[in-house]
Amino acid sequence: MLALRELQAAFADHLAGRDRVDLLALVSGDSIPAAARIAVHRHHLGQSLSAALAATFPTVRALVGEDFFGRMARDFLAGFLPTQPVLAEYGADLASFIATYGPAAGLPYLADIARLDWALNVAAYAGPVRRLTAADLSAVSSERLPAHHLALPPGTCLIDSPFPLPDIWRASQPDAGEGVVDLAAGRCRLVVLPGSAGAFFVSLSNPEADFVAALAAGSSLEEAAGVAFAADATFDLSKTFARLIRLGTFAALR
Amino acid sequence: MERATGIGLRAPHLAQLERERPAVGFLEIHAENYLAPSTALQAVERLRLDYDFSVHAVGLSLGSVDGVDEGHLERVAGLVKRLEPRWISDHLAWSISGGRYFNELLPLPYTEEALDVVARNVQRVQEALGRPISIENPACYLAFRHSTLSEPAFLGELVRRTGCGLLLDANNVFVSAHNLRLDPQAWRVALPAAAVTQYHLAGHAVNDADGEPILIDDHGSAVREAVWALYADFVRSLGEHPTLIEWDTDIPSLEVLLEQAATADRLTAGARSHACVA
Repeated sequence: MLALRELQAAFADHLAGRDRVDLLALVSGDSIPAAARIAVHRHHLGQSLSAALAATFPTVRALVGEDFFGRMARDFLAGFLPTQPVLAEYGADLASFIATYGPAAGLPYLADIARLDWALNVAAYAGPVRRLTAADLSAVSSERLPAHHLALPPGTCLIDSPFPLPDIWRASQPDAGEGVVDLAAGRCRLVVLPGSAGAFFVSLSNPEADFVAALAAGSSLEEAAGVAFAADATFDLSKTFARLIRLGTFAALR
Repeated sequence: MERATGIGLRAPHLAQLERERPAVGFLEIHAENYLAPSTALQAVERLRLDYDFSVHAVGLSLGSVDGVDEGHLERVAGLVKRLEPRWISDHLAWSISGGRYFNELLPLPYTEEALDVVARNVQRVQEALGRPISIENPACYLAFRHSTLSEPAFLGELVRRTGCGLLLDANNVFVSAHNLRLDPQAWRVALPAAAVTQYHLAGHAVNDADGEPILIDDHGSAVREAVWALYADFVRSLGEHPTLIEWDTDIPSLEVLLEQAATADRLTAGARSHACVA
């Protein structure tokens, strides 16, 4: 007999993949042997966490199929079990796991698609936050506006990838028609945002993305515009700013 | 007929429920699915104006020798404060050890040592929430050789020590009794009737374990005939209580779920008239 602390530690080790044969002696067996009984729990754990990851990473799941995803999820959870019970917050490490996961080496964009799925998930659970509108900005004098800082809503994420993620994402949706994604289409810059009807992402041009990244890093409006102009002299500040306001990219003016 | 039986509120039915507001006893949510702000939580906040709610937790890990995770408890307490549900419950099981969360209701040995642990954890949760919770009997696939108490005796003693309620899951009793070669009536006979606050009903699967059937509480089908019969026995001897239909995998249409709830209502009414005659 083990004390409860040792029993739970042994059971936990066994579920995490380290076979603990000492558990067998603790469990009653009959025509259903102890090992088969313990196996029910190990099987359920793999199944339920794999399903939770599939719900959080639907695009990854669609790209690799159910069998591959299930195997990958089990390999992942051997090293990365949840640390708390809210499964919508489980999977932060999957993208970096995929980046070095041998069997996925043939899909070099898969890790970035996982980053996009994760960012959409984070944005979906970020909670409602009021957004700045054009009316809010018109209340600030135009001479003083450039010195202001803009806060992005919690759950916002910028993604910079060498792959055309929006094309891959669209082709993986359940209602996508036949089509070929041109991986040579190259780099994308995305902003992922919480929205009133769920999370969404939009593509940004390079100077737009540089502008938003500078604001997110704490630059003033004037400094961020300077970064974007330095990257691309044709950067259209007023057009970009109007578009970002319409999308709900900013939560507060400071 | 009075609609007393509730259904689990699941994502595929959310829009239809909001639109049609069908007559149903109450709605149940899993606490852990609503701890982060989301559009689904906003929908629940609208629905709670029209329906009673049951907040059923699956992750408090009341059997953990490590104690209750205070961070998680604080989030559950926040949800309870926000929704003011009519009922709060979790299971006689554990799912956290050494900072790892196993998304599975894991079995306890039914010993005095485990009873001390569970009673301490239940008391801590009740203290944080400021109200009693109900503890659900788990679906068991194994028993530990060194258990010294039966499950109903363990639950009865837990009630005595903590003042918690009992959520009696008829499907779990059926599944556990089959898998552990016990008599399902033992729960009915040994449980303190006054502590029962709710019943749960669900479907189960029959799987193969080395050539022997093992029943799995998968919440993936309609309630089976034998479980309806056991439920009627419970209602007759332990009294009428709010009942929940659980269906979490291969989720059917809302109409099918509501029909299962109506069946429970009819059985309860039948048990009532039977009790009057007797």
